[in-house]
Amino acid sequence: MELTTLSQPSLRTQLRALFVIARKDWKVFWRYPLNAVSNVFQPIIWITPVYFMGKAFSTDGQALGFAAYTGSGDYMSYILIGTVLTNFIMTVFWGMGYALKNDMDSGVLESNWLAPVSRLLILIGRTLTSMLTTTITSIVMLVIAGALFGFKPTGSTFAAILTAIPMLVGLYGFGFAFAGIVLLMREANTMVDVGSFLVQGFSGTNFPVRSLPYWLIPISLMLPLTYGLDAVRGLLLKTNTLLPIPVEVVILIAFMFVMLWIGAQIFYRIERRVRTLGTLGQH
Amino acid sequence: METSLIPRSLGQPGLLSDIRAFLAVVRREWTIFTRYPSWIIALFIWPLIFPMMYILTARALSGPDESGLAVFIATTGATDYIGYIIVGTTVWMWQNIVLWDVGFALRNEQMRGTLESNWLSPTWRFSYLLGQTGPQIVSMAMFIGVTALEFGILFGVRLNGNPWMIGLMMLAAIPAIYGLGFAFASLVITVKEANTFVFLIRGMVMIFCGITFPVAILPAWMQSFAKWLPQTYLIHGMRAAAFSNAGVNELLPDLIPLLSFGGFWLIVGYFTFLWMERRARKTGAIGQY
Repeated sequence: MELTTLSQPSLRTQLRALFVIARKDWKVFWRYPLNAVSNVFQPIIWITPVYFMGKAFSTDGQALGFAAYTGSGDYMSYILIGTVLTNFIMTVFWGMGYALKNDMDSGVLESNWLAPVSRLLILIGRTLTSMLTTTITSIVMLVIAGALFGFKPTGSTFAAILTAIPMLVGLYGFGFAFAGIVLLMREANTMVDVGSFLVQGFSGTNFPVRSLPYWLIPISLMLPLTYGLDAVRGLLLKTNTLLPIPVEVVILIAFMFVMLWIGAQIFYRIERRVRTLGTLGQH
Repeated sequence: METSLIPRSLGQPGLLSDIRAFLAVVRREWTIFTRYPSWIIALFIWPLIFPMMYILTARALSGPDESGLAVFIATTGATDYIGYIIVGTTVWMWQNIVLWDVGFALRNEQMRGTLESNWLSPTWRFSYLLGQTGPQIVSMAMFIGVTALEFGILFGVRLNGNPWMIGLMMLAAIPAIYGLGFAFASLVITVKEANTFVFLIRGMVMIFCGITFPVAILPAWMQSFAKWLPQTYLIHGMRAAAFSNAGVNELLPDLIPLLSFGGFWLIVGYFTFLWMERRARKTGAIGQY
């Protein structure tokens, strides 16, 4: 006897599911408008000590020591680009895992899982609204921080955005794998806090990785994010890059395909294991 | 036969019972603290990775030939930029942890549903809040000790000053830091979700108190504002005690305002608590969440 299902999945239904997930998250986000304010001002608060610290290292407003590493003494533009990219990295990298954790805590994960929609699609859907809100809050943040500290990109914004895309798409792979780990371990905070500090540190969000102690540089060079941040800065600020920019772009594109495949495999394996154990609804 | 209409309580409050209640809260908090072993990871990881972000940025600003470092030394008078940053970031972390731990102490009880029943017991209610500080101070002392140890071993940071003077500065800071925590805890009970307020207070410390730079580098209006924050004096005094071998006389300009702010915040904290307690009983908000 053939099993029949009432659902008739098609491209249209999948897109509708994505839209519904994004609309739900959009509503939830704007129910707490203070979060948006916090998203704008938190990064500014974190980089303010760096701004004043940079002044203590500068002569006539020029950070010459910094320029020797990067080719540009404009350390605040350098850091602001790192901060904006970090906002997106955090959204993609950790957003899916956090979203699953929230669904677990609210007790809706199991019922969502029963819907005839691809699970990876559910994960991607959870990032759509946050990508949009991150774009809005990052632009507002950049305008305010630019007025306070100065932001002077001299290169091509379009080329920089194009370069950032494979990096962010590749990060979805990391996000899938992390979401799987959250399903298994049911706890995300410590992993996210420690992990994001380490990833940000080693990939050089606030400083050029060349300035790291020599024994930490190999770790940094193993992270594809390092090349993404480096290439975007090279294109926007014309800073010295670790490798020629086309080579860095090739690395990012290769990273995108490899990570998407590996991340999806890890997620599916863990998800199957969790369903076998029957622990999907536990938190 | 006469019947007394005055309600009589079985509780017999006194100094001894207040101390016993305080110690019971301390013991409970210590038991909870040691039940979750993840604090060991936090104890060793956080003192290292939070200052590292600023230290590595400072390293980049120094340049490969350390030309930037010469400018920093001329500006701050500090030869050890790592130690300079560690003192500032440790004070920030101390205030941040107190806001989350002590500041949310009553709120956590409210969320667990135990605040109302505790409130009904014939004990000194302030002891619920005060009792949280004991284990918190012990864990913070461990945190600061681990910070000194890790940076001493990994980065060769050495204290040139008198450890007793560093201890004196920290002791003098306790009333201000925890007084602020008490006031905050009382407000949290009233406004419930207060994460944004934590971000605001810790953000002010981060921007105005000079955690990674000398306050003198700030614009004049920011310097004026910084003078109203006790953490400014704590960071300045700790740096002087740790790296300039300052004695009591040199530390007095920091100790006096620090203790004055401490007295102020303890009084504000206590009276905010009393106000909140009365208000919560009147409105019945104590059990709501």
